Amino acid sequence: MTVERFRTIEEMAAAPVIVPPGEGFERFARQCARYWRIAPRVYPRGVFRFRALAEAQSARERVTDENVARMRATPAR
Amino acid sequence: MLRVLRAFDREGLDYVLIGAAAMGFHGVVRATEDLDLFIRATAENVERLKRAFRAAYANDPNIDGIRAGDLLGDYPAVRYYPPSGDLYFDVMTRLGEAANFETVAQENKEVEGICVRVATPAALYRLKKGTVRPLDRQDAEALRRRFDLQEE
Repeated sequence: MTVERFRTIEEMAAAPVIVPPGEGFERFARQCARYWRIAPRVYPRGVFRFRALAEAQSARERVTDENVARMRATPAR
Repeated sequence: MLRVLRAFDREGLDYVLIGAAAMGFHGVVRATEDLDLFIRATAENVERLKRAFRAAYANDPNIDGIRAGDLLGDYPAVRYYPPSGDLYFDVMTRLGEAANFETVAQENKEVEGICVRVATPAALYRLKKGTVRPLDRQDAEALRRRFDLQEE
């Protein structure tokens, strides 16, 4: 299917990308690589431990916030 | 990513992918920054994990910070940022009271000769539908539609 129609943004966001059988991982890896080129990240190094998922998610959000701030501070070329 | 999955396979790690990578294997594709996995909660298996990471990341000394005492005790989630800096790993032994390596339905996938353990679409749906992150709820809806899963 080359064109899909959606009534709402939510419907569009939830629509799965249709991938031929067996190509899923390759497409996933390419998508991640593309994402990395568009928005390169800087991560801390090492091992961090969490008592609960909520703690892990908060830590992830802090790293994301730092990356967003860094990218916004970088002048566009 | 393949280098790590190959190391998991070679070390005989008991694990199952549960995040966006698992969805990718099922043909539901979105980008991610991390690999989420459950591992079997035994000290021997944590050692396999560490050996696999050491093999994949040139004996990064930070790997010593992954401890069975944590993963089997009060810290069921450990995040490892490897020196490559391109992705990180969320390693879990349990999620809440019910979800762990033993309770997540799994299947084998193969990529470039590597056997990869992946949560089934239904298992991923169950893990994701009840979480608070909007992205996970969106994933759950995509899985439900793709695999015609029943709402629970």
